[in-house]
Amino acid sequence: MKIYKKEGNVLQILSFPEDNIEKGDYILIEDSKARKALIAQVIDIQFANIPGMLEELLRSCPDGGNIHGEDFDPLEIAPYITYIQDSRLLICKIRASIKNEYLSPSKSWLPSRSHSIVKKLPVSRLLEMIKAKGKLPIVLGETKESSPLIIDASSLDGRLNIITGKKETGKSHLSKLLVLSLVHYGATVVIFDLNGEYAGLGYSSDGARNEYYHRIHVLTPGKNFKLMLGQLDLRVMLNILVHALRLPGTSAREFRHIWKSLKERKELSLRALGETIRNWHCNIHIRDALFSRYYALVNSGLFTDNPSEASDIEQYLFKTREKGGAVVINLRDTSSIDRQIMVEYTLGKLVELLSNWRLKAVFLFAEEAHLYLRETYWDDIVTRMRHFGIFTTFITNQPDSIRSGIYRQADNIFLFNFTNENDLEAVSRAARVDAETVKSIARDLPPHHCLVLGKAVKDFPMVVKVKRLNVKTMGGTRLFFKEKN
Amino acid sequence: MVIEQLTITTTPKYNFPQENINLELPRTFLELSIQSIKTSEKTFNLNNLLNFQQLTITTLENLNCLSAKVIKLKPKPDNSIVSAIDVSSIKLGETSTGFLLAIRGAIVWKQNVNYRYLRIGPFLFHVTEENKQRIYNVLRKAYFNFAHQESKAALNITSTPNIMQMQSRLTGLLEKWLQMTLTTAAKNTLILWDGSLTVGTPETPTRVVESILQTARKRENMIMAFSKATRLRLMSHRITDLLVKSRPPCLLELKGYSNVNKPIRLLGEIYVARLAKGNCTFRLDIDKEIPSEQRIEAVEKLLGNDIVSHGYPETLRLAHILCTFTANEVIAMQRFIAKKAGLNIVSQPNIRRILFGPYGKGEVDNF
Ligand SMILES: Nc1ncnc2c1ncn2[C@@H]1O[C@H](COP(=O)(O)OP(=O)(O)OP(=O)(O)O)[C@@H](O)[C@H]1O
Ligand SMILES: [Mg+2]
Repeated sequence: MKIYKKEGNVLQILSFPEDNIEKGDYILIEDSKARKALIAQVIDIQFANIPGMLEELLRSCPDGGNIHGEDFDPLEIAPYITYIQDSRLLICKIRASIKNEYLSPSKSWLPSRSHSIVKKLPVSRLLEMIKAKGKLPIVLGETKESSPLIIDASSLDGRLNIITGKKETGKSHLSKLLVLSLVHYGATVVIFDLNGEYAGLGYSSDGARNEYYHRIHVLTPGKNFKLMLGQLDLRVMLNILVHALRLPGTSAREFRHIWKSLKERKELSLRALGETIRNWHCNIHIRDALFSRYYALVNSGLFTDNPSEASDIEQYLFKTREKGGAVVINLRDTSSIDRQIMVEYTLGKLVELLSNWRLKAVFLFAEEAHLYLRETYWDDIVTRMRHFGIFTTFITNQPDSIRSGIYRQADNIFLFNFTNENDLEAVSRAARVDAETVKSIARDLPPHHCLVLGKAVKDFPMVVKVKRLNVKTMGGTRLFFKEKN
Repeated sequence: MVIEQLTITTTPKYNFPQENINLELPRTFLELSIQSIKTSEKTFNLNNLLNFQQLTITTLENLNCLSAKVIKLKPKPDNSIVSAIDVSSIKLGETSTGFLLAIRGAIVWKQNVNYRYLRIGPFLFHVTEENKQRIYNVLRKAYFNFAHQESKAALNITSTPNIMQMQSRLTGLLEKWLQMTLTTAAKNTLILWDGSLTVGTPETPTRVVESILQTARKRENMIMAFSKATRLRLMSHRITDLLVKSRPPCLLELKGYSNVNKPIRLLGEIYVARLAKGNCTFRLDIDKEIPSEQRIEAVEKLLGNDIVSHGYPETLRLAHILCTFTANEVIAMQRFIAKKAGLNIVSQPNIRRILFGPYGKGEVDNF
């Protein structure tokens, strides 16, 4: 391989088929005289612009006919010709330079074209150089060269992460891998599980309990996850009414009074709430508004006055404090409003526990958050909640459902295949890497392969084939022909 | 530096009968090629100035004629086979004692609508002051053996060329061999050459060309040599200009041209051919010994059996394209030399020159 050109931080390198370079590979350009080196990543491969190539192609198509023939080529020069024809140009982004063994992000230095040695940099070697692996290693899977890609759990700590890619590419799978790894290192994880896929985390694929069984707590709203009004803070209740149930402001003010009076009388219950609204002196419209919300709460089946039915999310969260654990909020088969209610409650609870230091920090995994997270929470999550210690990972197949501001804030992006131009456009707003890299590599990713961008890989984008997981897969898509296959 | 022993692979099969083909020339070509690049030199200096291709050898001729006759042509499709031969060579670069030369020839023939080709080479030669004598003599011997005709005395007529002439001499040898081979193998075929039927130069020995023409007549082949017509004049008018008024396809038969100096001789009747619309006219030489009507008929058969949309037979154009070297091939051969012979390539080739010639030809005026 030889350096051909440098424009800005893009290097063009001439390469031949036997170099066996693919998109995403890293290249090391060593200039021993300058005692420096550059690390660059191949983001595109093109045919080299070979002089005479067009003539050669034209030779094979005469005017109005075909041409075939034979070559008596006794010196066997033909392979040399095809070799040149097959030469290619690697379009590489410079990622860093190395001087005296130290990596620096500087990209301005120009290595010598004549005596630089250009070679492939195995990802395993690069991982050593950047010291991606720390005290809390997480094996994500294998690189193309079959070496493990290991990141460190600390690179997710305090961070905002996004897992995205088109349907069925393996996003939830990776998310589960991260969840179990975090639990393994003793972290508290909360999952908004839209499709009920995480319930199997405590079992291995043969259905037997695994080592995490006692640390995975699945809460299904309306079943083993019911609340008594007394567990709710007024602020959370108002959020539910205003945001999930769209209660207008004047009515909300009235509700506040009702709630306070019930609380003072220590009579906070569904039944008492209904009674109080019925007898409350207020505008008839307000009463009607309050009543309709009241029945929505009752009908959701999420609330109960029976202490033996009620569950306390606090208690599960506290269980995770010692050896780590995950609380899975199973939102499958839950209506949109009920989902919002449970999410309001859970987030409110988390902020409460975190702000008075009853919990250290929580890793929140949110699948398709746009289906239950209200507008005002998005910014909250990257600012206020992060400050309290909620470290979120968004998982979505609709990248435009996440606002561009969030992409810019994201510390790590795990990118699976995308072919749709709009999707690629949305993802390429991520500040951690240039748009060309995202577009060019994401387009060619096979299923289960993921481009890791960001802090976890010290901003050296890397492709990994995510490893298998020995956990029970749950709640597969409901299919008509399933049995018949 | 070691070059592996290369053995001659059998000539690839092609549709012409092969019984008369003498393989001595290509065999000797190859042997000398291998020997010459087994050099002990270590540097191979690509000299930009030398890096041009040489067209088939044509003698410089300024012909003036007194009268000319326009002949209308009617295409005559009869499924005759049309074939063409061309050879080209290029200097790959200089060494401290000489230069490296690549030569390749091509035969193209048209059967029904398909074109087929046989390419010979590239052969590479390292020509030096020291080995030029040997290369030339050995090749000439192989060459004259195949011609059968030349006496020992004739061998001495041409002295050893100077090193700068070696490119055209070696190219000429391969070309004449291909022409002879094809003429001997084919029957009832139109054979197109690039050049003329002017003989008497070191590259076109009279006896050799005469012998080829004789063989052609015996086997009912028609040799037609095409070249540019720019140097032909009729009473000091450019002939190409005269023909523009006549409707193509047509020929202008030239009469009464001034004698050329010995030993140069014209073995062909000379025409100017305007075979298609547009300004493309070519000089066309056809064997004098053939009756005039047959010569005209041959051109009509060519029109009927090959594509001449650009005023130039496609078969010949393909032969030309197939043997000329593209810049890519030049690079490949330089790599070959660097690898096999261990020569260091010193400077970059002058790609521009190669690119800007038509189909990779350098600008060399041969007329
Ligand atoms: N690395 C992997 N190794 C083996 N199987 C995998 C891997 N990743 C995903 N799978 C399997 O592929 C299927 C799809 O994976 P997954 O559900 O994670 O995709 P997804 O991107 O979340 O899809 P959706 O967009 O539907 O949510 C699942 O059956 C999963 O078990
Ligand atoms: Mg999923």
